[in-house]
Amino acid sequence: MNGLKHKTYKLTDLLDAKFMARLDGLDVASRKMLRGRLQGERRSKRRGQSVEFADHRPYVVGDDLRFVDWNIYGRLGQLFLKLYQEELDLTVHVAFDQSLSMGQPTPGKYRFVRQLAAALGYVSLVHNNRVTVSAFADRVTSQAANLRGRARVSALAELLMTVESDGPSLFDVACKQLVASTPSSGVMLVISDFLFKEGYESGLKRLIGRGHDLYVIQTLAPEELNPSLSGDLKLVDIEDGDLSEVTVSSALIKHYKKNIAGYCNELKGFCARHGAAYILASTDQPVDKLVLNTLRRIHLLQ
Amino acid sequence: MQWLTPAMALIAGAVTVPLLVLLYFLKLKRTERVVSSTLLWQRAIQDLQVNAPFQRLRRNLLLLLQLLALIAVLIALAGPVLNMNQGAGQRYVILIDRSASMNSQEGEEAMSRLDMAVEQARTFVNSLRNKAVFGLRDRADQAMIIAFDEHAKVMCNFTSDKSQLFTALAAVTPTDRTSHVGEALTVARAFTQSPGLETNNRTSEQRAQLHLFSDGRIMDLENQLIEEGELVYHRVGESSNNVAITAMQARRSYEQTDQIQVFASLAHFGESPVTCDVQVSVNQDVVAVREVALAPAQTDANGLVIMPGRASVDVAVTYDGAGILEVRHLFKDCLSADDAAWTVIAPPRQLNVALVTQGNPVLESVFQACPLASFNTLTAEAFETAMADQAVSPYDVTVLDNLLPTRLPRGRYLAFGVVPEAMGMTVSGSLENQFIVDWRPNHSILRHVNPSHVYAAQAVEVVPPREARVLAQFNDGPAVVLTQSGGGTFVWVGFDCLKSNWPFEPSFVLFCYNVMDYLGMQVTEAHAAQLRAGEPILIRGLMPGTKAELSGPDRDTETVTTDDQGGLRFPGTDRVGTYSVAVAGETPKLFAVNLLDSEESCVAPRSDLVLSDQIVSEQDAPVSRANQPLWPFAVIVALLFVCIEWWVYNSKMRL
Repeated sequence: MNGLKHKTYKLTDLLDAKFMARLDGLDVASRKMLRGRLQGERRSKRRGQSVEFADHRPYVVGDDLRFVDWNIYGRLGQLFLKLYQEELDLTVHVAFDQSLSMGQPTPGKYRFVRQLAAALGYVSLVHNNRVTVSAFADRVTSQAANLRGRARVSALAELLMTVESDGPSLFDVACKQLVASTPSSGVMLVISDFLFKEGYESGLKRLIGRGHDLYVIQTLAPEELNPSLSGDLKLVDIEDGDLSEVTVSSALIKHYKKNIAGYCNELKGFCARHGAAYILASTDQPVDKLVLNTLRRIHLLQ
Repeated sequence: MQWLTPAMALIAGAVTVPLLVLLYFLKLKRTERVVSSTLLWQRAIQDLQVNAPFQRLRRNLLLLLQLLALIAVLIALAGPVLNMNQGAGQRYVILIDRSASMNSQEGEEAMSRLDMAVEQARTFVNSLRNKAVFGLRDRADQAMIIAFDEHAKVMCNFTSDKSQLFTALAAVTPTDRTSHVGEALTVARAFTQSPGLETNNRTSEQRAQLHLFSDGRIMDLENQLIEEGELVYHRVGESSNNVAITAMQARRSYEQTDQIQVFASLAHFGESPVTCDVQVSVNQDVVAVREVALAPAQTDANGLVIMPGRASVDVAVTYDGAGILEVRHLFKDCLSADDAAWTVIAPPRQLNVALVTQGNPVLESVFQACPLASFNTLTAEAFETAMADQAVSPYDVTVLDNLLPTRLPRGRYLAFGVVPEAMGMTVSGSLENQFIVDWRPNHSILRHVNPSHVYAAQAVEVVPPREARVLAQFNDGPAVVLTQSGGGTFVWVGFDCLKSNWPFEPSFVLFCYNVMDYLGMQVTEAHAAQLRAGEPILIRGLMPGTKAELSGPDRDTETVTTDDQGGLRFPGTDRVGTYSVAVAGETPKLFAVNLLDSEESCVAPRSDLVLSDQIVSEQDAPVSRANQPLWPFAVIVALLFVCIEWWVYNSKMRL
């Protein structure tokens, strides 16, 4: 190295220590039986080595004799092999949106997203899950792949602390890259405001199609849910610079609220139709409350 | 509804409305606000536009409200007037009383009744309906204005031009004359019959409504015939508090010529007794002051004065010069015209009398007993010789005793039994055995004279001219005639006194004394008379074409010229006071003009006008504008729109 001391990032910069202590007791649950890559603690559809008996099958030449059930051979005189449920590790993908829109209307929105990603990543790491954390905007901009174990918490923290809100969003492209970068399916947590002008359907379909157990967490600031704008304004889209001249009236606000509610419901419906879970999180609520209450209630964490 | 200034509103609207719309077309400077995404805002805007059918209108609601406010202001600018008088235009005659009682000043502002009447008439004129701007069949009201006192003066013929009517109202000037409405009604009806200056498709059948603005103190109301509803009476004034000098006379004593006896009568029309000082001044020097107590006036149940409280003042003043004698009471009341009375006093003078006779001891002894400066007895020939080249008789009075000189110069004559040609009387025959059966005891010549026993054996039968005054009447013709003609004054007795029993009557001496007194007054006061307001100033005996400077109260000095007969007549004695007529090279002649009228001095306004056939009551409500101006309402509506616009704007900002 060049002699400079590498800065170590701590997750406590984002999360409260007490909160992290409470997270230690939680683990990510998958609604699907997913195939892992390494020996782990999750039951797999595959038969393999574990203590969980699964089935018998007749012996064929070449089978490991250690798995022959001799008790059955003694009773029946035939060779049967004992098959066990293989336990593999769980792959958890945490993808969070780092586009410019996440820094608006307040920096608190992006911090909330990073805290949420940190909490989920931490929970996954402490239970020896394989964790991949990705930041995306118009592409996957940063990624900490295949983290495993508590020791990699600092790598998780480094990613989260160093990636700033920047760049336009192209969700479909980012999802395409996410799919490509995750060879095994797992629990996919996508954290974003999902305010994509080109749409989110194509991107989400890519993720679902890859076999991930998809959780869509839509984070919106209170200002976005209940705007307090007034007067004659020129609204500037922070990502593409698109201008909208509006005279904010009560009717317009009413229609905006109706639209954002409809937009969220539309996303929720899309998720429901495609077997994904949907969570709407307002960034003004505490992250611990969201994690410990909401995510547990939907059995993402247990 | 009418528009007073539609052109102004149209011009202002043509400028401001496009300007306001243009301002809305200009790009609004909006505040930039960075948001995470405009996705949902654009959708909301699209939704708003799609879901609201009147979105374009709603988006411009502020413009709409501002336009409405502007239109309301423009309407106010156009001067909308709601006309309560619907229907075809009508004709009105405004009669304004400008007599003496209308000079009463009332209220804290001491506004005269005439000013109040003019103000009310102005309000009435304001209420007249104009021709509507876009009304093709509409007609405007027309009005004419007549100011009246004893006489009527047309201030303005029928017109709908309000500015002309206002000008005419402003030109109404007060007078101190008495009030007679008859002439004004006659004039009004005469004008009503004619189509007027602006015919405007009027027919003479349309009856004009008369609007009388007066205090009701009008002399000749009982003689007037008014159709039902023809006259509307607007009463002016409230007060009745007035003390007036209703009679005044100052006579120089016949015996003691430096003594002037002043008589004045005062009347009080108020409700409470008053005590006031009466001062007598000569040439503005106060010579006497008397305190007078006046009882309150007696009124009937309706508050009308039946009998004023009266008092009289009798003051003897020693003054042997000429001048103006003024009697003035010092009580502060509402009418000032009757607070003082004036008279012109001439210097003391005794008469030069000539008796033209063939010998008449009766007349000689009578006139010798009179206090005369000189008394000459002449024959007819001697008189003619003396008067051969005289245009004016050198004698103050000439007595013609049954003799008639061929030529009589201008002068004052007492003629017995002869008819001077200058009198203009026509001799129609002779009378015999005549008794005086009728006479005028109130005339100063026959004062204290009782000729009821006068018998004339022979008398001249004459037909007197129209202007002559017959003082005594025989059974079949005039017995005593007073006439003024040809620059002279004649007292004519139609018989020879020696052919009657009159010299044996006490009344004969009194008659001769009175004639000397009367004609003597003519000498001393030939030019100076005590006139009533409105009576003309008459001066005779001047050269034709003579110019004189006339000055008087409330008027500038003006030049008047004598007529072909050498007479000077000036009728404009509208205000009380002293008038002066100055002929070049002569001493100015003074005239005193007084009100001396109880009816005018009784200023208590009448609520009801008692006409010959009906009673017209005053209008219950004061004159009000029948035309209701609507511009304040338009301004209120404009303010309302501005408030709504403000509220809408703030609502948009707040929500």
